[in-house]
Amino acid sequence: MTEIIRVGVIGAGRMGKIRVDNFSRIPGVEVAALATPYEAETYEWARASGIPKITEDANEILQDDSIQAVAICSPTSTHSEYVIEAAKQGKHIFCEKPIANTVAETKQVLEVVTEAGIMFQVGFNRRYDSNFLKIKELCTNGELGDIHIVNISSRDPARPRIEFVKTSGGMFVDMMIHDFDMIRYLTGASIEEVYAYGDALIDPRIGELGDVDTCIAIVKLSNGGIGTIDNSRETHYGYDQRVEVFGSKGSAYAKNKTSHTVEISTKDGVEKDRPLYYLVERYLDSFRVETEAFIKALREGTSPMVTGDDALQALLGSVAATISFKEKRPVRISELV
Amino acid sequence: MEKARVGVIGAGRIGKIHIHNLCYRIPGVEVVGIAEAEAAVPATQEWAKQFGITNVVSDPAALIEDPTIDAIIICSPTDTHADLIIQSAAAGKAIFCEKPIANDLEKTKQALAAVRKAGVKLQLGFNRRFDPNFRRLRELVEQSEVGDIHLIRITSRDPEPPPVEYVKVSGGIFMDMTIHDFDMARYLAQSEVTEVYASGSVLIDEGIGKAGDFDTAVSVLRFASGAMAIIDNSREAAYGYDQRVEVFGSKGGAMAYNKTPTTVELSNAAGVFSDKPLYFFLERYMDSFVQELQDFVDCLRNDSEPPVTGEDGLQSLLIAIAATKSAHENRIVPVSEVDN
Repeated sequence: MTEIIRVGVIGAGRMGKIRVDNFSRIPGVEVAALATPYEAETYEWARASGIPKITEDANEILQDDSIQAVAICSPTSTHSEYVIEAAKQGKHIFCEKPIANTVAETKQVLEVVTEAGIMFQVGFNRRYDSNFLKIKELCTNGELGDIHIVNISSRDPARPRIEFVKTSGGMFVDMMIHDFDMIRYLTGASIEEVYAYGDALIDPRIGELGDVDTCIAIVKLSNGGIGTIDNSRETHYGYDQRVEVFGSKGSAYAKNKTSHTVEISTKDGVEKDRPLYYLVERYLDSFRVETEAFIKALREGTSPMVTGDDALQALLGSVAATISFKEKRPVRISELV
Repeated sequence: MEKARVGVIGAGRIGKIHIHNLCYRIPGVEVVGIAEAEAAVPATQEWAKQFGITNVVSDPAALIEDPTIDAIIICSPTDTHADLIIQSAAAGKAIFCEKPIANDLEKTKQALAAVRKAGVKLQLGFNRRFDPNFRRLRELVEQSEVGDIHLIRITSRDPEPPPVEYVKVSGGIFMDMTIHDFDMARYLAQSEVTEVYASGSVLIDEGIGKAGDFDTAVSVLRFASGAMAIIDNSREAAYGYDQRVEVFGSKGGAMAYNKTPTTVELSNAAGVFSDKPLYFFLERYMDSFVQELQDFVDCLRNDSEPPVTGEDGLQSLLIAIAATKSAHENRIVPVSEVDN
């Protein structure tokens, strides 16, 4: 595919805007249309971005034969409907994670996608972060030996709005899903069993909704390795995103990224920068690299690094974690499939 | 008291370190005598000369019954600890004992009952509490610098696996190795553990697996306060002794990194290089061995409470028993279930 690729973007929230920007910077790619509910400021922004067609109706993109690929960046609850329609129309699809919050719905979507034979990539952007790409490389080229332990700390800077929590699918699905994907990605092993535990230690209202704001999970892997994850909804010190992989030959540790590396020493102590504040700051590069990878796979006809099955497997980890937390027992993935 | 007078039972590796420290690095104490197994007495006598210690005996009772001795320091093999504690307590001696009191709950409780009945002091050798890094973490917790504790993460990995013969009598990785981390988690959480989930694998040495043990393990602790802890252990880290601890709370987090022999960083065309962690516990925790005995001597001389009590030993043992059970039965084990 060497001709101009015309992309339609559905959704112009935080992620939609980032994707429009990403696509616009790739030579030979044109953002042909944007679908988003009318909002003066957003439409203003879209026009300024030079998008030729702006519509409230996603179908105008999905039915447009001149558009080869769509990026679905709308709210999660709309993903499966748009993916199914886009697949039926033969469009290649980039979909933000998750495809859906349930396994049944995800499987239904993947069936349609498989049948349509289109290219389908899911937005587990963290795989494209330079730190984690490096650790993946070390795992793949054997520098760490056999992988024994993976430790992930993944913590948000500030608690979400309570309205968001209500529709999030729960912390194990909304937040920890990234970490399940990261463990699978780095180890190349599959998740066999999950034990999870959590509590509302930050905001009691989150607990009243049956959700948690602080949680951990232990993951047993098919290679005998063990993964550990800790999540918090509020650090106060920024976005804490650290990963360590420990193997028979040694370990690799990805520390947080900071906006500068200046160390200030005074009589009060030694001070360094906090981690980059949140996902837009921390993962901006990964979104760009991820979008470029989508276009590259499309042009070369290769399969994307993050497939629909990857999304399903990560979701299964999240669902197992949710059940484990509720039933207070380790849950095998084989129970769910 | 002018100077505390102590007798040391067991002059193996750790016993020798304690004697050396008591003689040269800790003021206010005098080592009056050493008890060692009969066969080792002549060599120990020879070794002890350098410290001016001439009283080396094969029968611990000779020290325990010596009315001029204030305290007994027990560094003999684990299976002798409980009986020596009971005898020392009956003789009215203050006691410092290496961890654990026993690998057996019944024995541990008997020893603690004897200590209580005699009203003597007992300090247990959870030396890591005296490491400057972890003391600092505890200080930050006490000063509420991290707020309420939400998460504790402990990475604790040895540089090389022990011989399988040792593994067979060790009580298993949770009793032998993780018990230090259980104590550390309690020390930092300032709360009691209610539930344990643990998972183990055999990834390093099949012989360890054949002995019924694990060489790689992860434990999750749930505390009465609501806090949770994750501990990961490995019997073999290719790069040395990995001893890191992080506490995370409602106001922020604090992280203790590894200690290294030097802080020199070499940069060249191949990359940027710095020291590996201090190799093993003798290197890493030497300061803590001095500090724990200094504090013990201070509490003898000031008649204050020991900083690590028998109850601390009991709680860690209960957690270790629960973790062992959890890993083998693959289920959550409440600590109350194993405390009978």
